[in-house]
Amino acid sequence: MQALLKLCTTKGSMLVMNKLRIFSAALIAVAGSAVVSSCGGDKQNPGLEFARNMYDPIAYNPDQPNKNFANGQTAQLPPSGTTPVGYDKVDEYPNTNEGYLAASNNLVNPLTRNKQNLTEGKNLYLHMCSQCHGPQGNGDGTIVALEKFPPPPSYSKGNSSRGGAMKDLTDGKIFHTITYGLNLMGPHRAQLDPTERWKIVMYVKELQKLQ
Amino acid sequence: MRSISLIFRSVVKPFIFISALSLGVQGFAQEVPALQAEEAATADAAPAEAAAAPSKGDPAAGAAIYKQKCTSCHAIDRAVVGPALKGMSERHDEQWLIKWIRNSQALVASGDPAAVKVFEEYNKVVMTPFPELTDDDIVNIIAYVQTEGDKPAAPAGGAAAGAEGAVSGDSGEVSNFMLGGLILVVLITLLVILVLNRVIKTLDRVILQKKGIAVEEDGVVSTKETAYEKIRRLSKNKKLVFFTILLVVILLGSWGWKAMWNTGVHQGYQPEQPIKYSHQLHAGTLKIDCQYCHTGAYKSKNATIPSLNVCMNCHNYVQATDKYNGEISPEIMKIYKALDYNPDTKEYGPNQKPIQWVRIHNLPDFAYFNHSQHVSVAGIECQQCHGPIQTMEEVYQYSPLTMKWCINCHREHDVNTEGNGYYDKVVEVHDLLKQGKKVTPAVLGGLECGKCHY
Repeated sequence: MQALLKLCTTKGSMLVMNKLRIFSAALIAVAGSAVVSSCGGDKQNPGLEFARNMYDPIAYNPDQPNKNFANGQTAQLPPSGTTPVGYDKVDEYPNTNEGYLAASNNLVNPLTRNKQNLTEGKNLYLHMCSQCHGPQGNGDGTIVALEKFPPPPSYSKGNSSRGGAMKDLTDGKIFHTITYGLNLMGPHRAQLDPTERWKIVMYVKELQKLQ
Repeated sequence: MRSISLIFRSVVKPFIFISALSLGVQGFAQEVPALQAEEAATADAAPAEAAAAPSKGDPAAGAAIYKQKCTSCHAIDRAVVGPALKGMSERHDEQWLIKWIRNSQALVASGDPAAVKVFEEYNKVVMTPFPELTDDDIVNIIAYVQTEGDKPAAPAGGAAAGAEGAVSGDSGEVSNFMLGGLILVVLITLLVILVLNRVIKTLDRVILQKKGIAVEEDGVVSTKETAYEKIRRLSKNKKLVFFTILLVVILLGSWGWKAMWNTGVHQGYQPEQPIKYSHQLHAGTLKIDCQYCHTGAYKSKNATIPSLNVCMNCHNYVQATDKYNGEISPEIMKIYKALDYNPDTKEYGPNQKPIQWVRIHNLPDFAYFNHSQHVSVAGIECQQCHGPIQTMEEVYQYSPLTMKWCINCHREHDVNTEGNGYYDKVVEVHDLLKQGKKVTPAVLGGLECGKCHY
């Protein structure tokens, strides 16, 4: 402190000292402001917004609440007795054993078996089915391998719980099973439209042939 | 002026001290759960080793067949598709079980009362016949089910859940402990600074007195002047005024700069969702493809948030009971509650409500964005915009979604026209131009109805 005071007595060194102080004070100020401004990270809050009304949609988004409908949702089910364009008639082959057998007898894959359909079928199968059924249809998908879900029967070697070997399942039976599910398998008609289901059926027919 | 340099010095030292200390505390906090998890793991292993001895048949051989053939429909202690198998040897004799497992329908057809009763009870769901199983195989399965059924209800699972609870509880305590510790450290440093200041002042005075310089008593001046006078005196101190203005300008400037650049940018937004759904578990560990739940991403404008029926494709079975002491996971219970689903009877009630997820990515309505165009046509990975979603316990907005961000990608991304039907027309027109042929509006789609009749 004494040395410091002595230094301050001469004018030249005083300037040096002032520069040093200004510099250090500025440094503190910058550091302080950096600390203060970096603390504003509230993850629960999207942050400042300007002209919010330009962001919000005028028409309702499908996943928005909607007070115009009795159940408060924008996404409504189609009225009963109607079939949306591109969807299948649910009542034609009901989720019963009779419906299953009728589908087996009457339904044939409407798509032509070509490379493009098979490739798309394979992609859909890998994305939508292989988690349980495995990439080769052996019932050894990732979820099954981790023992989170029991294994489904193999397409080529297993037996169907509705009788017969899995490798003998017809187009209609496979389509019916994807549509409504069976045992622990859930229905997939909401996730896959009929064309996509038929593409998967086409690829599953290939997997049935594996040895 | 002396006091400024003093403050500077006294602030920097404790600051370094605090940061070093907090780093140390954090390191310790990370070590503690790891240690406890290890302990829990060793505790887990103990009861698993002490498995019950086989009663009849070979449970080990039975276990292999059981896992291969039975688990798609049966569990030991809860009804899945078929009944819970625990105690089946008490309900039926061995010969009956052998007949039933090999071909249940034949037994029902023969009019066996017990067989008909079970068949009726489980909604006439036909059990897969297993003609390939020998009597010994079936006896082995029965032995395995018996040994598994005799075990007390989920002992290993319970222990694991307990240990996990302890670990998670500890991590909460640790963070509280850390916070308390930090506050304590800050208080102590403030105290130390005060005391040191006093000591330095006294020492200075002593030195000056020894030199024979008269000491001006600080206290004398300050007690006489009022607060107003003090402010006036300080406001005449040009250096002080300069520093204050500098500080205020820098603070306001940096805050304003940040605020203006981040207006309407929700990057890092991580709201709490109604269900603690973990993408890290479902997409990372279980490797369920994005498309399985977000079906729309490949074929529509919206990526679609899955409705609860998609959850139920797996969670009609998966209940994570082993982690919650035999109880259904509270997060999965939220799905059941919303669907008015009774896990015991497996029936859905009439009071169904959707889960209202909190929207994270919210593109303004004046900007058009189509998922299928980017995912199906351009073949962009979900992760390119949504970040490492398979590692996110809780989802946050990874990309800024600003116009600059969009445009930068549109400037740099390579368009792959090969085998991509979407670009066929564009390539065709460019070929025509290259050949020097005539290009009419019709070639460019000028005859589409919507061009005039929109």
